Amino acid sequence: MIRSLAIALMLLPALASAQDLAITHAEAWTMIGSGTGAGKVSDATIVVHDGRIVSVTSSGAVPAGATVIDVGGRMVTPGLMNAATQLGLVETGSADETNDKSSSNTTLGASFDIQYALNSNSVLLPVARADGLTRAVSYPGAAGTAPFMGQAATIHLTETGDILERPQVAMYVQIGSATLSAAGGSRSAQWQLLRNALTEAGRYQPGKPDQPISRLDAEALQKVLKGQLLVILTQRESDIRQAIALAKDFRLRVAVMGADEAWRCADALAAAKIPVILDPMDNLPISFDQIGARLDNAAILGKAGVRMAFYASGNTIYLSYDAGEAMREVAGLAVANGLPYDQALAAMTQGPATIFGLSDHYGTLAKDQDADLVIWDGDPLEPGTYPWKVFVQGREASLETRQTLLRDRYAKPAALPPVYQK
Amino acid sequence: MKGSFSRVWLPVIALSLFCPATWAAAPHRAPYRPPVVRDEKPKPDFAADKAQAHPIPFLLGTNPSTYKPLPRQDVLITHATVLDGAGHRFDDADVLSRDGRIVVIGQHLDGGSSRVIDAKGRWVTPGLIDPHSHDGTYSMPLTSIDSDSSDVSELSSPIAADTWIEHAINTQDASFLYALQGGVTTLQILPGSTPQIGGRAVTLHPIPATNVAAMKFPDAPTGLKMSCGENAKGYYGGKGMRPNSRQGEMANFRDIFSQAQAYRDQWNHYHADPHGPPPSRDLKLDTLAAVLNGDLRVNIHCYRADDMAEMQALATEFDFKITAFHHTVEGYKNPELFTKTGTCAIVWPDWWGFKMEANDGIRENAAILDAAGACVTVHSDSPVIGQRLNIEAAKAAAAGRHMGLPEAPEHIIKWITSNPAKVLGLEDRVGTLAPGYNADIVIWSGDPFSIYTKADTVMIDGAIAYDRHDPAYQPLSDFQLGRKAGVMQ
Repeated sequence: MIRSLAIALMLLPALASAQDLAITHAEAWTMIGSGTGAGKVSDATIVVHDGRIVSVTSSGAVPAGATVIDVGGRMVTPGLMNAATQLGLVETGSADETNDKSSSNTTLGASFDIQYALNSNSVLLPVARADGLTRAVSYPGAAGTAPFMGQAATIHLTETGDILERPQVAMYVQIGSATLSAAGGSRSAQWQLLRNALTEAGRYQPGKPDQPISRLDAEALQKVLKGQLLVILTQRESDIRQAIALAKDFRLRVAVMGADEAWRCADALAAAKIPVILDPMDNLPISFDQIGARLDNAAILGKAGVRMAFYASGNTIYLSYDAGEAMREVAGLAVANGLPYDQALAAMTQGPATIFGLSDHYGTLAKDQDADLVIWDGDPLEPGTYPWKVFVQGREASLETRQTLLRDRYAKPAALPPVYQK
Repeated sequence: MKGSFSRVWLPVIALSLFCPATWAAAPHRAPYRPPVVRDEKPKPDFAADKAQAHPIPFLLGTNPSTYKPLPRQDVLITHATVLDGAGHRFDDADVLSRDGRIVVIGQHLDGGSSRVIDAKGRWVTPGLIDPHSHDGTYSMPLTSIDSDSSDVSELSSPIAADTWIEHAINTQDASFLYALQGGVTTLQILPGSTPQIGGRAVTLHPIPATNVAAMKFPDAPTGLKMSCGENAKGYYGGKGMRPNSRQGEMANFRDIFSQAQAYRDQWNHYHADPHGPPPSRDLKLDTLAAVLNGDLRVNIHCYRADDMAEMQALATEFDFKITAFHHTVEGYKNPELFTKTGTCAIVWPDWWGFKMEANDGIRENAAILDAAGACVTVHSDSPVIGQRLNIEAAKAAAAGRHMGLPEAPEHIIKWITSNPAKVLGLEDRVGTLAPGYNADIVIWSGDPFSIYTKADTVMIDGAIAYDRHDPAYQPLSDFQLGRKAGVMQ
């Protein structure tokens, strides 16, 4: 018994990675191309080899020896990607020991880099994965060095190993009323600090003493000058237009995030090819920067041709907790308010994949893409829908979470108290 | 109950005169009638006169409602999919309201001169009730002024029992109107949870006015907000004040309730034998004496199961009833706490984890408590969520379904209608569509538990307060007026 188990364990990784997988009778949303349907393939056979997509074809043949999973017409999408989370950085938000999203250390401004804090054992990761999330951006919180927040990473929600996928995928700055005081009380100061820092970073000379910018920040901002994405968290129309101007003046690759009033400059954003990372649930004038917030922001941006990626804030709770479920809900709201369905799905797959530079291996169900797949038990944008199965690089992931364990130990009466049930 | 209305619903002859097929609520409680004021003759007794000059003050100071329904006409909604809030579903049903009250639910009704709204299969539910809102006190937009001194809590003392949240309501907070657009017709505004006793609550209709009295639900019972756990000990302890521990919180509670017992006894003695000066007035103890007399409905913010058990022990010691626990993140760990006491469990479907006492939240909380027989309600606590209580309920129901506790829409709707009506003590007036109930009605564009559905028409007391397709019924807050607001209909 023990010996056979040992052999099985030895064989397991080899089998799992080498074995072919065929998902049959799927309604596959490949997210290839654009337009209604987003490359939808009916009665699809999705063939996976070695953790990657081989083919997605209607009524396609099943390779010999492949493990077949007949999904009975269920919808299949790429694993979803949330474009703004603090997964791996925050465990219990108010317990400082478990919250690494930002630093008050002012020697680290633009150079603050969250990659070193990522906790692959966070219990929030399985929750997000069980809701269909296989990738996310983990971004830094507001810091004492406004407008600079630091550098974000993309994470891959694998069950084992390091979740860090790509560090330093973007530099984050926050402009607007939320961080005014840290920048001296005026958003003009925020923009000037940002512009000046970029200028000084460009002029920085290694080894020369007494320069107006630290070596760390200069090196970080030089990456932005060389084409690293600069994500500007901002809401007000005037600031979004400033972001467009900044991108032009410094020839930067910029995305705006939050962007509640982006609909007011949708055409300008489209013309500048500036993508928008937004929470479609934002519709309240919750600050003076958000007077124009409205539920059809995504619909208007989509119509103008702006590339989008979604996230959900939920008073910042959803940045860490239920980051998969909440993002699907806000995407549903975007559709309820005029965004075409395929564009909503794209804003959770190939949209963020493209914005954050992962589209060579993630974001669609094209050949050679990672086989991150979610088989849904219904419409993923409806609150009643859960993943039926989740695959990460071709491996089926457990849908068990600390929450389901808590649920089950209290739901099942037993002779011993729940604390004895694991 | 779908399709079985003939068993549950019996025709009422008086109403069937104008409705060929009628379902009315036979086993139901009687329609609400305002309390009868007894006309007691003053006793020719000097002492009694003196007592009347100094009545027991525990409930004095109320700001009586001056709310008037909006202009209305009688309405007959036809061909609707009705979830009545009492657990029934009626397909292709008609709902007739007259003079602001539901008259009858049936089929092929003749509404006489009533305005007819053909629902064409759309769904109709009671107006939604949010038992936990801070609208009007954490007013949008939030500014640095609010971070220093919002009106959500009086923070100078952990026992703010003398405060009444109605004295702080910014009636022009746009949050009310977003809630209204989401189908909310009644909300309980609670003080915040930083003080242990946050003060008295108020029940409003989300129809902004120039003063809170004009928003107040007429003759509604009043709630009290209390809180347990991390908030008070963290805030006051952080300032070097008491309490800085859970045991300190409990000691504070027992101390103030002991004082309230003595205070109540003083007044009772005075009234029994009104010689000498009346007891000196204490506004904090007024509130807690009213709790002891059962005249205020106790709402307690609690997360952990053990905290809730402690609060129940407090209630037992001082012989008051806890109407509802709010947030109730660990409610599922001890459903008996609710089923034995009748205390309602007010929950979020998926807000948890952000502090230590919220670590063990599960999405199935509502469904597990509901299956155990508890009165379950979802709440907003936030204007963001306050627009979508139906989706909050949908998420909680989906989690239950996912674990094998399926419930039909006609049951789930209770979580946001008749159950919160119980929390507010208004279960005989709102939260259910049945004869005699207030005509608080939402016509939804589809299944109210779908993300794609919107509230098309929202009626309060038989008057249309919001209509998604008619700009005349799309209110705009004073703050947003002239500001290029992003309001989208």
